Amino acid sequence: MPMTQHKKVTKKVQIALGLAAAGLFLGACGSSDSATETSVEATETSVMAADCPAADLVDAAKAEGQVNLITLPDTWANYKGILASYRDKYGIANPVANPDGSSADELTAVETLAGQPDMPDAVDVSPAFAQEFDAKGLWEPYEPCLWDEIPETLKDPAGKWVAAYYGLMAIGANTTVVTEVPTSFAALKDPMYKGLVSLNGDPRESGAAFAAVMAAAIANGGSFDDILPGIKYFAELKKSGNLSAADVTAASVISGETPLVLDWTYNYPGMATVLAENGITFQVTVPTDGVYGGYYAQGVVKNSPHQNASKLWINHLISDEGALGYIVGGAIPARFDALVAAGKVTPEMMTNLPDPALTAGIKFPSAEQVAKAKEVLTAQWGPLVADK
Amino acid sequence: MKRNNAWAKFLLLVVGAFYTLPMLAMARFSFQKVPVIKLGWSTLLKNWTIGPMIDAVTSARFLEAGWLSVRLAFLSVLLSLLILVPTTVYVHVRFMRARAFVELLSILPFVVPPIALVVGISSAMRSTIPSFLSSPFSLVPFYVVIALPFSFRSLDVGLSSIDLKTLVEASRSLGAGWMRTVSSVILPNIKTGVVSASFLTFAVVLGEFTIASLLLKFTLPAYLAEAQGNNPQGTFTVGLLLIVVSALLLGVMNRITRGKSQIVSTIGI
Amino acid sequence: MNTTVWSGRGSLSERAPLGLFVRLRPWLGILPFAMFVGAFLLWPTFSVFRSAMQPVEGSAKPAMLEAISGQYLSSILFSMRMSAITATLGMVIGTLVAIAVVSLDRMRGLRNLMVGYSAVAANLGGIPLAFAFVASLGMQGLYTKMLSAIGIDLTDMGFKISDFSGIVIVYLYFQIPLMTLVMLPAVDGLKSTLREAASNLGATSRQYWKNIGIPLLTPSLLGGFLLLFANAFSAYATAYALSSRGSQLVSVQIRFYLQGNTITGKSNLGYALAAWMIIVMVVAMSGYLGLRRVSERWRR
Repeated sequence: MPMTQHKKVTKKVQIALGLAAAGLFLGACGSSDSATETSVEATETSVMAADCPAADLVDAAKAEGQVNLITLPDTWANYKGILASYRDKYGIANPVANPDGSSADELTAVETLAGQPDMPDAVDVSPAFAQEFDAKGLWEPYEPCLWDEIPETLKDPAGKWVAAYYGLMAIGANTTVVTEVPTSFAALKDPMYKGLVSLNGDPRESGAAFAAVMAAAIANGGSFDDILPGIKYFAELKKSGNLSAADVTAASVISGETPLVLDWTYNYPGMATVLAENGITFQVTVPTDGVYGGYYAQGVVKNSPHQNASKLWINHLISDEGALGYIVGGAIPARFDALVAAGKVTPEMMTNLPDPALTAGIKFPSAEQVAKAKEVLTAQWGPLVADK
Repeated sequence: MKRNNAWAKFLLLVVGAFYTLPMLAMARFSFQKVPVIKLGWSTLLKNWTIGPMIDAVTSARFLEAGWLSVRLAFLSVLLSLLILVPTTVYVHVRFMRARAFVELLSILPFVVPPIALVVGISSAMRSTIPSFLSSPFSLVPFYVVIALPFSFRSLDVGLSSIDLKTLVEASRSLGAGWMRTVSSVILPNIKTGVVSASFLTFAVVLGEFTIASLLLKFTLPAYLAEAQGNNPQGTFTVGLLLIVVSALLLGVMNRITRGKSQIVSTIGI
Repeated sequence: MNTTVWSGRGSLSERAPLGLFVRLRPWLGILPFAMFVGAFLLWPTFSVFRSAMQPVEGSAKPAMLEAISGQYLSSILFSMRMSAITATLGMVIGTLVAIAVVSLDRMRGLRNLMVGYSAVAANLGGIPLAFAFVASLGMQGLYTKMLSAIGIDLTDMGFKISDFSGIVIVYLYFQIPLMTLVMLPAVDGLKSTLREAASNLGATSRQYWKNIGIPLLTPSLLGGFLLLFANAFSAYATAYALSSRGSQLVSVQIRFYLQGNTITGKSNLGYALAAWMIIVMVVAMSGYLGLRRVSERWRR
């Protein structure tokens, strides 16, 4: 899927009040071609603050008083901060159920609690499950304002979901245990790392582990279309004893049981405080030979109890506060380029982010490529790696 | 008559060590903020703190989750006993032929994955009582089902190990009606089984995670899972605290309930 | 004896058309149980099989057949092996613990402590239990370090807590107490009078156990073994949290297809694996019932 630069030409200003009623269904800031086009470079900030999100939406959301969220761990891409900023800004409660659940659990919850007051209003799922939600008709299409500043690769063309953030696969090294930090997949094969390398779960279940295998595929001559080299790489790593069988949890990282972890860049900053308290130094490096990015999809759930609060939540994720929250958490927000252009991102904020040179021009695998990779993985991971 | 119980003491010592040592290692990890790699004589006494534990135990979330779990546990034990005690007594006394059938049913919950239970039951509930799954107490029947293998087995073993036939014949021949026989003769003799069943059910409920998380209920294991990412050390201390407190509580309850039955069972026939 | 339908007990059997009713009447006693179980257990089980009969997306054959081939078959066998080993060890040690506790009856509080802790330990599992063992015997484990300080290097000896043997050890942590709790009522039931009578007749301890104790306990032993086997067979959280070797277990793989983050569209395969697990248990149950019938004959 070719990467196209997001359109910087114009930002369509919505004629808010008149379209508010229809807008609640089509998206508060959705626009038609006949809307007035104004280029608003200089006064962008003040115009955005006034119109986006629409005052009607905010009021309706406040009237609802709550948005039911699900599977958003505090330490994942700084959701703790993003949830707090939403509560502070709008005063709407956003309880998170089952924070450690999987995308499949989110789907189960939406289906079993359909029509009930605790049905999830908005979800955050892996790309594969975004397709599942689509196939089952569970998305409520909604385009938040600032939709146009989101790159094509990070949103659904029909407006069903948006990828508010993405991250890169990175090697996290506990430098208290490991003195020489590996910087590439090739380096991980070194005998000095025997028993030290861990995947964050089984790739057939964990999105992060799946991404690690894809990244390894790229590093070993494969591509989005060919995940087999990645599987073979890990088979080799297991055979040489470098691949540890230990499970990765916050506790195992702190205890040093899993000193070299393959996980998303946005999963590391959340652990920083606890690591420091325990006297552990940690370093995050994106492998030089396999740069792989992955996103998660967020959207409003159809027929959920708090539609407006949910739409406001999606808006919040895309907005500046949300985006800056993600940056602190080590994730690259969807509107990163726009924010940088507007000068809102300072160098201190970027400490948790990977080198922008790596993320410029990032490509993501298409739904078909992911589906094919999963087939190969399901068939081959067991026989080649797990069962050995 | 004195028997040499040295082997018993030795065995219990070994098993006791097996039970306690891992918990001690986890406690060390949770209370001391020093990684093992840096642990040595000089650092042995450094950085011990109960801060994370205090944080975890005093948090409103913990208390909310704990309270729900305790209520669910009591209700599940109640419902379990209500359904199972009459059934098992009836089967053993009157209808042994059904025992295999009941046993098979009691083993089934092990191998039906929790997700299948949730999805299966929700599809049935949606057409009949859709709001059922919203209530946190909807977990009670699920819990009775998943505790079934343990609770049934305890009651079954309890009933099998008393000489039921003789007791019933004796009681009936002395003129007692069925109700009297059951309440005064059978039930006191299966007290150990009932107690085992209750304790196991209680513990199952306190530890069950999957069903509660799928139905988005905030129980104690859900709290522990939630707090794990932020504060793993604190969460483990809470876990340890729960283990110690539960074990003590159950031990005390065992002491209280055992008093009576002991007298009856030592009168051998 | 000719009596009318509604009077007296037992006379109903004389009436042929009502014979079926009579045969079914005893089953009424377990009707509440059957209804409860029917709604909350049998219906979901039926749904599992119904989904298992469907084919997996993109395939023609029913998921049940796919779930018994290749890597899935080896997973089922692996799970069975793991369960049998931990059930056997748990059965033996757990029963010995129960016997030990009962024989030390005079030590006040010991039994209560053991019962209390056993009930808790029998339900431990998942991340806390796995991590307790990792913190003890993992690469950065407390006891690993202590042992290496006195010269015993576990890694050199080839022991890893994440190996098959490691998983067995961790499983025993909840298998042993479970067996203890199940066997305590049975061991209690071994009347001390029998023991005294045996020793009065000159039997040694060994003879007592061989000829009286074990045969009397056998039905409960078998029941306990079955319970432990099923317990291990269905466990997933502990093994998954302990080691990647845990993903060879069927119970863990079911989660890949039903509760994961990456694989979609294969839920029928997950249900099929669950269906096979159910079938394994039913077969195990039948074996157990047969054995038990043989062993119970002794009691009469």
